[in-house]
Amino acid sequence: MLRRHPWILPASFLLLPLLVYFTFVILPTLNSLYYSFTDWVGYGTDYQFIGLANFEKIFSDRLFSNAIRNTAIWLGLAMTVPTLLGLALALGLQGKRTINTVYKSLFYLPICLSPVIIGIIWVWLYSPKLGIVNLFLRGLGLDQLATAWLANPNTALFAVFIAWAWQQTGLNMVIFLAGLTSVPAPLVEAAKVDGANTWQTLRKVIIPMLRPSTVVVLALTAINSLKSFEIIWVMTRGGPFNKSDTLAVFMYSESFRKFKMGYGSSAAVILFAMTLIIIFLYFRQTARADELYD
Amino acid sequence: MLSKWKLLAVMLLLVAGLLVAPALAEDDLMGDFTVSHYFGGFGGEFIDGIVDDFIAANPGLMHAASPVDHEQFKTSILVQLAGGNPPDTFSYWAGARIQFIVDDGFLMPIDDIWDANDMGSQFPQAVIDTAATYDMHKYAVPLTLHWVGMFYNTALFEQVGAMVPTTWDELVDVAEKFKMAGIPAFSLGSINRWPGQFWFDMILLRTAGNDYRNQLMNGEAAYTDPEVVRAFGLWKELVDAGYFYPDANAYDWDEAANFVANGEAAMTLMGTWIGGLYAGNDMVAGEDFDYFSFPTIDEDTPRASLGPIDTFVVSADAANADAAKAFLNYLTNPDVQWAFAEGAGNLAPSLLVDTSNYNDVVARIAAEIAADPVFAFNYDLATPPPVAEVGLNSFSEFMANPGDYEAMLDRVQADAQAEFDGMG
Repeated sequence: MLRRHPWILPASFLLLPLLVYFTFVILPTLNSLYYSFTDWVGYGTDYQFIGLANFEKIFSDRLFSNAIRNTAIWLGLAMTVPTLLGLALALGLQGKRTINTVYKSLFYLPICLSPVIIGIIWVWLYSPKLGIVNLFLRGLGLDQLATAWLANPNTALFAVFIAWAWQQTGLNMVIFLAGLTSVPAPLVEAAKVDGANTWQTLRKVIIPMLRPSTVVVLALTAINSLKSFEIIWVMTRGGPFNKSDTLAVFMYSESFRKFKMGYGSSAAVILFAMTLIIIFLYFRQTARADELYD
Repeated sequence: MLSKWKLLAVMLLLVAGLLVAPALAEDDLMGDFTVSHYFGGFGGEFIDGIVDDFIAANPGLMHAASPVDHEQFKTSILVQLAGGNPPDTFSYWAGARIQFIVDDGFLMPIDDIWDANDMGSQFPQAVIDTAATYDMHKYAVPLTLHWVGMFYNTALFEQVGAMVPTTWDELVDVAEKFKMAGIPAFSLGSINRWPGQFWFDMILLRTAGNDYRNQLMNGEAAYTDPEVVRAFGLWKELVDAGYFYPDANAYDWDEAANFVANGEAAMTLMGTWIGGLYAGNDMVAGEDFDYFSFPTIDEDTPRASLGPIDTFVVSADAANADAAKAFLNYLTNPDVQWAFAEGAGNLAPSLLVDTSNYNDVVARIAAEIAADPVFAFNYDLATPPPVAEVGLNSFSEFMANPGDYEAMLDRVQADAQAEFDGMG
């Protein structure tokens, strides 16, 4: 039997994980899709199938537009700030000197913390009266810049983003460091021999060679951005008055604060579709990168 | 570490339990018995003590208690109810929230034990009507009653020579005195949004009155009505004048309360649970802090008290409904009601509780409640949860941008109407 159908043995090993994956990932996803076509409140069994009504409503919902705008700002910042910082740190800290190892560990440390812990730490840092951020600004005589960072509608989203980026930068640095090890040293040497300065070497040799790492960083950053919820919830709960609502927070608020699970599910479906597009682009880019090196 | 007052209250509770429990023993109660509640920092140890005493008096019961974080409870209990595995009994906020789950058939009426134990004679009629009765049936036994008023730092009032205000103009005068002394008059910590509702509630109750407010809470009146615009306008006068401690949305209610305790602000509009916080700081009621009722604004508007009432209810799917009902009956015992009130700093809803037990401040508050013809629930317990979300956000927005409040009210009305329409 096994000799005639050799695929049976590996398939049987896959059965359990596939079952778990189906139960805890695929099934809830399909459930969300189903509920997005209903007016289910999140509890009870009494609900109606309302077709595309949730989707028609959501695109004229002021708070959804607000969440989309905030998510776009977040995504735009996330693709640039921690990516560039991660790259800069990786370039600065490559090599095996002890001090570099120490700094690498320090910058990577935030990745080991849960987003909830990061959020709590930064809430303290941003405290209007005793937070180190305002104390620092006041110490420099910049009292007019000190503000209630998380309560000020103009700064709340950016303040939470900085806390998130602080964690994300460490991850990006590690990925870029791994990428840098695959840049052939003779290539860099050859560029220098040909008279390229540091900037030219970086732009013409190192960064192009880092393309696979950059694709990974950008894809992970985009996916992490879209699903970032915990840190925002801990720091502002989307406030003040929805100013730091992202799609994930909007989805939660509609589902669990307003008890509109059907409507919240429609937001979840849109978020899922956006994530799916990014994953598709990621796989396409990595496939191209693989072709480049094959 | 328990403070001496909490320790004393726990001991009183245990003594009360020992005295009361045998009398209430239900010999035939058997099986698992589950209680869920949202009393965390304030009241958690006392409700657990009450449950333990009840179990001790009913040895046939196997008890599983599950305290849940206050905010988390709002969602988790609904999931449990929908999943068909709810606790036998659980704490719940009287008003729109109970009505919300009564409408979905998640609660069991308790008319049988209500009548059999003559509970109607044990609570004020206003409390029975608003907190215990839904769709003409009894569903809930009130355990706590909190009242919202202005709590102030007595030393600061003496320092600036301020008298307790009884009218709006006097309130503004007092606030101005504090401003001249360089002290913010009002402290508000609305990072979690709900403390802001008390300002809106009280101003609206003192101007448009309770009947209009009920219409607004039910969707029969609009947030663009002149009554609401006026209420926000009066609130704006205080904000614009700089009477509030800066950055209200950056602080929680207890931080705002501590600004008053520390002398950084003069007063805060808060519920009587603030007494538990201040007692924990070794502040003496009537000496270190005192209260006054929110001043009259329109003299011809009937007075109204405001606050939440915590109750216990029985799940429709309770596995041990007999034990749950016996527990609710146990909660009506005046010794139990007093033990919890003493511990958690609230007023006991039961008329059988000896009010001479109260400290001076709580006793005067009890008299205020008795004198007011109306007891209204605060905003997020008076209007359905989806609408409350809209309103609570608007109070935070108002504190940040008071200048745009009329445009904001247009949006609030549109959003609130959409939520009412969505509820059918």
